[in-house]
Amino acid sequence: MPFNLLKYGLRSGHEPFRDIPATPDLKASYDVVIIGGGGHGLAAAYYLSHVHGITNIAVLEKGYLAGGNTARNTTTIRSNYLTPPSIAFYKEGVELYETLSQELGFNIMFSQRGQLTLAHSDGAMRSFRLRAEMGKHMGTRIEVVDPKTVREICPQVHMDEGGRHEVLGGLWHEDAATARHDAVAWGYAKRAAERGVEIHQRTEVTGMAVSGDRVTEIRTNRGTIRAGQVLQAAGGLNGQIAALAGIALPIRCFPLQAMVTQPLKPFLDILLSSSDLHTYLVQSSRGEIVIGGGTDPYQLASTRSTLPQKEALATGALQLMPFLHNVKLLRQWAGITDITPDFSPIMGASALQNYWLDAGWGTWGFKATAVAGKRLAETIATGRVPAILQPFALERFDRFALLNEMGATAAGH
Amino acid sequence: MTDRLGSGWGSRIDRSRRFDFRFEGRAIAAHPGDTLASALAAQGEWVLSRSFKYHRPRGVMTMAGQDANTLVQVGDEPNVRADLRPAAEGLEVSPVNVLGSLKRDSGRIIDHLGRFLPVGFYYRTFFGPTRGSWEKLWEPIIRRSAGLGVVSLDPTPRTYHKATRHCDVMVVGAGPSGLSAALAASAKGAQVMLVEREPELGGALTYARFDIDRTEAEAQLQDLRARVLADPNIECLLGATCNGRFEDNWLPILQGDTLIRVRARDLVIATGAHEQPAIFRNNDLPGVMLSSAAQRLMRHYAVRPGRRAVVLAAHRDGYLTAFDLQDAGVEVALIVDPEGRDGDGFNAECQRRRIPVLRGATIESARGGLHVDRVTIREGSGTIRHEACDLVAVAGGYTPGYQLALHAGAKLTSDAEGLTFALTGLPAHVHVCGAAQGLSNLSAVIDSGAQAGLRAVTGAADETPAAVPGWRRAPRLVPHKQGRDFVDFDEDLQAKDIVNAVADGYRELELVKRYSTVGMGPSQGRHSALATARLVAGQTGRTLGEVGVTTSRPPFGPEKLGLLADTTPERERHTPLHGEHLSAGAKMQPVGAWWRPFLYRGNESVAEGVTREIRLVREGAAMLDVSTLGKLDLRGPDAAEFLDRFYTMAHAKQPVGRVRYCLALNEMGSILDDGVAYRIAPEHFYVTATTGAVERVFAEMMLKKTIWGLRVDIQNVTPTFGAINVTGPQTRAVLERLAGDVDLSREGFGFLDGRTGHLAGVPVRIMRIGFTGELSYEIHAPQSQTVALWRALRAAGATPYGLEASRILRLEKGHIIIGQDTDALTTPDELGMSWALSGKKPFYVGRQAVAMRRAIGQARKLCGFTLPDRSDLGESALVMKGGQPVGHVTSFGFSLTLDRWIGMAYAAPEDAVPGQSLRLRRFTGGEVEAKVVPLPFYDPENTRQEL
Amino acid sequence: MKLMTCPMNGPRSIAEFQWLGAVQPDDDPQGGALVERLFFAPNLLGVLREWWRHTPTNTVFIAERHLTTNEILRTYFHNAGTDSTAGAAQ
Repeated sequence: MPFNLLKYGLRSGHEPFRDIPATPDLKASYDVVIIGGGGHGLAAAYYLSHVHGITNIAVLEKGYLAGGNTARNTTTIRSNYLTPPSIAFYKEGVELYETLSQELGFNIMFSQRGQLTLAHSDGAMRSFRLRAEMGKHMGTRIEVVDPKTVREICPQVHMDEGGRHEVLGGLWHEDAATARHDAVAWGYAKRAAERGVEIHQRTEVTGMAVSGDRVTEIRTNRGTIRAGQVLQAAGGLNGQIAALAGIALPIRCFPLQAMVTQPLKPFLDILLSSSDLHTYLVQSSRGEIVIGGGTDPYQLASTRSTLPQKEALATGALQLMPFLHNVKLLRQWAGITDITPDFSPIMGASALQNYWLDAGWGTWGFKATAVAGKRLAETIATGRVPAILQPFALERFDRFALLNEMGATAAGH
Repeated sequence: MTDRLGSGWGSRIDRSRRFDFRFEGRAIAAHPGDTLASALAAQGEWVLSRSFKYHRPRGVMTMAGQDANTLVQVGDEPNVRADLRPAAEGLEVSPVNVLGSLKRDSGRIIDHLGRFLPVGFYYRTFFGPTRGSWEKLWEPIIRRSAGLGVVSLDPTPRTYHKATRHCDVMVVGAGPSGLSAALAASAKGAQVMLVEREPELGGALTYARFDIDRTEAEAQLQDLRARVLADPNIECLLGATCNGRFEDNWLPILQGDTLIRVRARDLVIATGAHEQPAIFRNNDLPGVMLSSAAQRLMRHYAVRPGRRAVVLAAHRDGYLTAFDLQDAGVEVALIVDPEGRDGDGFNAECQRRRIPVLRGATIESARGGLHVDRVTIREGSGTIRHEACDLVAVAGGYTPGYQLALHAGAKLTSDAEGLTFALTGLPAHVHVCGAAQGLSNLSAVIDSGAQAGLRAVTGAADETPAAVPGWRRAPRLVPHKQGRDFVDFDEDLQAKDIVNAVADGYRELELVKRYSTVGMGPSQGRHSALATARLVAGQTGRTLGEVGVTTSRPPFGPEKLGLLADTTPERERHTPLHGEHLSAGAKMQPVGAWWRPFLYRGNESVAEGVTREIRLVREGAAMLDVSTLGKLDLRGPDAAEFLDRFYTMAHAKQPVGRVRYCLALNEMGSILDDGVAYRIAPEHFYVTATTGAVERVFAEMMLKKTIWGLRVDIQNVTPTFGAINVTGPQTRAVLERLAGDVDLSREGFGFLDGRTGHLAGVPVRIMRIGFTGELSYEIHAPQSQTVALWRALRAAGATPYGLEASRILRLEKGHIIIGQDTDALTTPDELGMSWALSGKKPFYVGRQAVAMRRAIGQARKLCGFTLPDRSDLGESALVMKGGQPVGHVTSFGFSLTLDRWIGMAYAAPEDAVPGQSLRLRRFTGGEVEAKVVPLPFYDPENTRQEL
Repeated sequence: MKLMTCPMNGPRSIAEFQWLGAVQPDDDPQGGALVERLFFAPNLLGVLREWWRHTPTNTVFIAERHLTTNEILRTYFHNAGTDSTAGAAQ
């Protein structure tokens, strides 16, 4: 038994860990105001306060801490993208996660189990090969595997030999991992708060005052504050928040649904997905099978669930693992994804000098929590966008310099 | 042997028959009508499972399938609710989460280590001493203890069914309010479906007492049931669960192995209420159960819930349960009533029955090993008193059956104390009645049902119901200093865990849930939500209204993945020639939804077969089934104008009888699709699209037609026509052997001409186009006559070839495949296809974007390259420049004709010029140089296809 | 099932319909206006006018739908004026 649990148990009574301080009153002014108390905003607050010595920060959260997409995603961390800028960015993200529990002193349950994506068509194999080649070039652990190796990595997969969905091979991404999503946000919040960062829950931004090329005031339901620098990291509400500052973002919202089964004794050790079937499966440390897939077919900013999507996810799951037919579903839910035209995020500068963007994450914001927070903190502290973020600038759309990740939207968020 | 109550009890069992099933290897006797749990209880088997975290013994709690205590494994089916699943002869039932045996579980030691495992303990530790400790050391240990049931990797296959139904009014719950709602709606002429989870109509009327005298409840049960069963407009679905409410009243009903999806115009939620447990130490011991569970055991199954009972009456139903128990011959040692006065007026009856009542008192703790054997009671004066008993019946009050209403967008609100509840903000066409509305008085419940049934027909909206007390006396909610006072039985969470979670900084209800996992287990917070909310409110100094009570998401109860998955086989598409391919020994390959011939192979190897087929095309006459091509028929005065706008080339002046290449862009100037357009008549074009893109192209055409307001009729005739591409230098000779009315001569039917006529007696549309670079005729024929045409062609000397040869042939000719040689950003310029962009037209989709992107400059260009050997390369190999990837190989293969490896790749524009070279990265590392050559590789003068 | 009222066929399951995106002006923007049109599509928390197609009958029409409640307020044919109102589920 670890020593600190022993110590805890032998003490009488509960000495609170005080991870998240109660919401204080708003001050009149902050050096940095972060709009959005999800993983990204809290990570930025952490790196600003711990790396750059900026501590006069307010994180404004409309609801409860990390209750948006941080709480609703299916916790996949990976870097098997198609383009070098994306691979470089997400690779740094994976590396930060690898040591995050130690850095935060808070167990985020990072579990590097590897992701196996199955191919059922020549086109998928071709695309996997390209991802593998790009990934190897960029120094990530990724390879194309044949059906025999698929069986070795995941003996439970239904190979469907001779069928419509015969497994022709797979993409094995050993760096892929999961982590406890809530813990990531709480760990960042706890350590940021220790340096004096204020976390304001139930604090909704209702307006902004812009003067010249700067945001000067942020209005909230709890009062108006002045801000030196502003970072917006508002998940599904990014489009609306940016509009308050007079900034148009190329974002549309689509629901992304997922579901989990009742807990079962562990049998699935890896992240399993299929791009052709738009389905992925992972067994959580509680034993639940988390099942996810693609976004809804039409634009909507709602977290309602639907029966057809549940049926589609079940169909995909049973194609991959027919023996799960007896297993019972426990819950389904949805998040609101903010999707850009090239399915890649927008980070960095806006048209306003003191207003910074962290938006357009679509279906893969969680895996970028650490790296986006770290690099945007650097951006705000230095006033310069680091090279690793430059390909994700908002102005890329003016130049048609879209990131060619459209092929990467296949399931496996 | 089974111990059953006398006649008058056990309405659901047939005592005349008996059978056995096995539980943990022991034989258990059951009657038809028993559930697994009732039969086990009748035989004195009260321990059904071990708990998730502490491996504590657990038994019957609700007898209504609402808790995780009764989860068992039945054969290879995990997590079956023993209190719902009917007992059946020969079932093999085993407990879950047991280390050792149910009665001797070595995991029980964790219970004694509980003080070392505070709420959220896993966030505090297990990640050291070094990076990777969690994954390598601790996670495997924790993972082993996770989960409940075991999933079989090879379970018995099961057939599931789906049905889709419609009705005017769906009533969920056939208790007194649901029955009367169904009758009221039916009386107004509505077609009603009535769904009931239990195997019989009546709900609480079948087991609850409602009053000192049960005659009224009994009379109502008989009357309502008889009227509903006699009503032809009411369809009753028993043993069926409405498991969620989706938009526009789209309702999944689970009944056995069938999922019935019902679209109901109006929904009446008559789901009753969830009785709540009370919080005291060891409130999870077997023998401690809800008062309604004790009543269900007796009334439905004639099972004696105990011999000596203590009843906790935080609700009047506690008294009524005590009367039931006594009537069944159970000694009622004591009624413990938290309130100091006789609020229900049962004093006289208790005196008459000689049942002692302790007012203003609470149960502090229960005690026992595998079953409760006594309770400790704290009287109002503070005096502690012990009472021996083997049953604690807990009437802890109720929360409404809120789930479906919350799925529909309603909010569950309560007063500050959590004594009364209301479901507010229901959308139109959703109505709530009965106990789900907070009512408990029988006549009020029946009346509310009738009103809801009426509203469901008249369309009147629900008014916010008057708040009615569910809980007249809030039981104390003070954590026991020794703990084991469970708030959440699924997750083994005690009151102090909730208090500590708040103290740790998780001050919002949702954060408490996520931090402590309260409400995350199989019972989805039915018994823990209210207690948790009250604890959080108490700890944060907020009211219950500010904290909120709970949220709910579908599904209501567990639903099998097998029920949800599509049961009909996926659509597979066969061309009209499928049978011909099979009988010719073709190896078939799925391409999207289609099956296509990969290779017609005899005894040779795949490589030999492909070589043979390529030779056939280059030297003889061969044919490929291209029926999967998308085919679109466009007719009307604006047909040419439409094509001019939709595609990049000019079609207005395209002569009748000519075929023209088509390239479609999207608004961004990226390539959407390609094909050909054959002008059959001035106002009639026959257009092909790629196999995978035709649905999208057709939809896009319909949209554009609507926006542009052009007079053109567009039909997707893909399945109407079969198509065969006959190719090779001998093709004309082969075709001329067939009877027909089309002039096939070089002079009469030139390259890129189109003709309509007959061939071998089959009406055909023929285009002189092809993918192979040889003399080719693409013949489209009605699908019903394609086989006849194919056989005639074979007889005339054409030999079939497959997709693999076709891929090489088209590569030799430098033809692109959309989706393989292009991606979402590819422009015509990048493909060197500016020739396909009409400079004269004022408009086509993507024109402005192409111009803008051209002005910005291009970053890559597609080019052809050759290599003397394979060099461990393939499609998707990277094109490198200065150590960085600048493109990749899109197509690659060995050209028999050129005797070298050929491919197409994206490269930096300055390198994508014949004479330059590319650096390609091998799959096994290292780079190799390839020569850029002009496209096409084969017959650059195009003499062969224009033969 | 969620219902959508096709102006041609009446209320049908939403599964029979294909979403074709927001209604845009029928013009031919260039330069900055083109970038605006292509990438900065409407992302309202209100009512979106959008194209839908009833796939079995190949009927293209316009719907007005609320992007937070998913309520379909009206459906009608292009250029049909505003009187062929058809609501959501009844």
